[in-house]
Amino acid sequence: MPRWGMVIDLDRCTGCQACVLACKAENNVPAVGMGEATRGRVISWMQVLTEEEEGHPGEVKRFLPRPCLQCDDPPCTKVCPVYATYLNPEGIVTQIYARCIGCRFCMAACPYNAKYFNWHRYQKEAPGQNPDVSVRPKGVVEKCTFCHHRLQKARERALFEKRDLAPGEYVPACAEACPARAIVFGDLSDPGSEVSRLARSPRAFRLQEELGTKPKVIYLTEGEGRG
Amino acid sequence: MSDRRPAPPRVVRAIQWAMAGAAIVFIGGIITWIIHLIRTAWGLRDVPSASIGISLVAIPVFLTLLGVILYVFWGLLGDRSGR
Amino acid sequence: MAEPADHRDATLLAPIERTGPGFYWAVGLLSLFILWGAIAYWTQLDEGLGVTGLHQPVSWGFYVTNFVFFIGISHAGTLISAILRLSRAEWRRPITRMAEVITVMVLFIGAGQILVDLGRPDRVLNVIRYGRYQSPLLWDATSISAYLTASILYLYLPMIPDIAILRDRLGKRELLYTVLALGWTGSARQQKVLNRAIAVMAVLVIPIAVSVHSVVSFVFSMTLQPMWHSTIFGPYFVVGAIFSGIAALIVAMIVFRKAYGLEAYLKPIHFRYLGQLLLVMSLLWFYFTFAEYLTGYYGGEPEEMKVFWAKFSGPFWPFFWGMALANFVIPVLCLMRLGRRTVGKVLAASLSVLVGMWLERFIIVVPTLSNPRLPFGEGIYWPTWVEWGETAGSFALFALFYLLFTKLFPVISIWEIREGREVGVKEVEERVVSYLPDTGEPVPAESVRRR
Repeated sequence: MPRWGMVIDLDRCTGCQACVLACKAENNVPAVGMGEATRGRVISWMQVLTEEEEGHPGEVKRFLPRPCLQCDDPPCTKVCPVYATYLNPEGIVTQIYARCIGCRFCMAACPYNAKYFNWHRYQKEAPGQNPDVSVRPKGVVEKCTFCHHRLQKARERALFEKRDLAPGEYVPACAEACPARAIVFGDLSDPGSEVSRLARSPRAFRLQEELGTKPKVIYLTEGEGRG
Repeated sequence: MSDRRPAPPRVVRAIQWAMAGAAIVFIGGIITWIIHLIRTAWGLRDVPSASIGISLVAIPVFLTLLGVILYVFWGLLGDRSGR
Repeated sequence: MAEPADHRDATLLAPIERTGPGFYWAVGLLSLFILWGAIAYWTQLDEGLGVTGLHQPVSWGFYVTNFVFFIGISHAGTLISAILRLSRAEWRRPITRMAEVITVMVLFIGAGQILVDLGRPDRVLNVIRYGRYQSPLLWDATSISAYLTASILYLYLPMIPDIAILRDRLGKRELLYTVLALGWTGSARQQKVLNRAIAVMAVLVIPIAVSVHSVVSFVFSMTLQPMWHSTIFGPYFVVGAIFSGIAALIVAMIVFRKAYGLEAYLKPIHFRYLGQLLLVMSLLWFYFTFAEYLTGYYGGEPEEMKVFWAKFSGPFWPFFWGMALANFVIPVLCLMRLGRRTVGKVLAASLSVLVGMWLERFIIVVPTLSNPRLPFGEGIYWPTWVEWGETAGSFALFALFYLLFTKLFPVISIWEIREGREVGVKEVEERVVSYLPDTGEPVPAESVRRR
């Protein structure tokens, strides 16, 4: 059973946000409009957070692309009252939009603010959207799913062609789009995969590791690292 | 006072026993619901300990409440024939 | 229950027998606020939660604050009614009914707040079909169901003898009162059954009530967020609930005392005792708050301190210090000396506490969400007319339910007042005598055996 994970090399990240745009295009993430954006309601499954240099406000020290960290001990699934978000056997924390009652408890519980809410009906089904991804109604929570639909498509193709899933055949949109190849995606349960190798690097760290969420998105710090 | 007041009509008695019945249905419904949640969690293997732990407290509490309700109904309504 | 004594308590039946213009004015005014709330909620149902001031990261605001606040007020009934009944405090007699009504009515309003907060209220049945008991929201659902059932029962049982009086004396709504009176005749067996049932409920309702506000607090403390993940939340919320519950009870008592002319029953001594209880709860609340914030401050953990300073001197400072003023400074000043103008001082303290406790809930919910751990944009929360309308409508709806209740049933327990006159005085005298050392009177058989 694979365990999908991601390694993001902060040394390579230039903050170009190609990952953000690719994610939005791939997953039918609605553009909420300027009014809603000024009210703080932008939906951005992949979001590039910026850390500013202390003492030099406005100077960005570090770009932090933050998808859903797909924790192995997710605080969000613990508090969901209706099984609308759960950890599936392959390690992806999935969302069932049809069951979500919009209580936003998972949003309050996530220490990474990786969950977003549809405060209005931001979009209807329309041509030009990705037909593999559902369009979310108003009043439900959504978040990054590691482009789970791509996994399903790749599996079906492999099944049809009577072969196994090849490594690198399933890649989320953000990893595919990054021009600096800062995002590496793969199976963390396979010790030989590139993701596993990078995850063991002395430069590897996990965000808010002390909280015990066991995130499967691992970052590589800039420079030589603390190793 | 009892000789001044006429015996209550059947309608009133029917409604009163229906209230007792409604209490049984309501609390029975809640207990059934709790058991349904335990079974769902068990089937999905999703922390069944939480469900069982809570039901160990919740179900006796609801049963006690039902017991008090039925005791009062029986004690008050049943007394009329005793006099 | 003899006829001659009835006339002494005619005041208690008057609101049910007659309705003055004041009632209609009150209903009219409350209906305006309820209408505002209804329009606000309709707008929200139509357009989505976006019509509120909520956003990412502050995804919980007024509605959750109101939820905690209203559920907190529900502890009025338990404390006064159950604990005072169990401790045989005679001064509770005119107060228990009002307290129990508050609990029942406010639980509906409190639970309604969560419904209002849902993004998909049409799917609320999912909680029943697919509920997960690992989620504190399900603990809330179960606990509040138990408390609602228990408090309706605990309100109804002591009302039965009063309903029988209405059945026999009133002349209108006879079917309703006959049905609800459950054939009460006041016979010895019926009295035994009822007293036993009430005693059991008085004991049962206390742990249920404590569990209710504890699980409400667990909604916050079971997450990992700074200044939420604190072990003190369970007891802290319960103390705050009892505190705000007493304040709400006092306000309700003063309102109806004036409206229905109940000065003979709700005397300054009752307000004095309740005022002393309120003072004790204020000090207790202050102690818990102080312990909570001192622990955070001393530890100095960066993420907790971000939230701490946001409350102390940052964007939330008016609410934080307003809360301290309203919950501690003003009540202590008002309640320190309750000799003269008792009712006025107690009213001022209670109103202050209600405002302060609402602010306390707000200060717990919003600043933590507003200061996320990661370098997310800091969230400023500005509630809109929808949230204000919903809040006003909720208070008004609660008041309306309460008012309608007082038109159907006596707001002071008639039979308990009579029991106090006929039985209570003697019983208390015997009790006090039993506490004192025995004089040289004939010694009862048991103590001879012991020597």
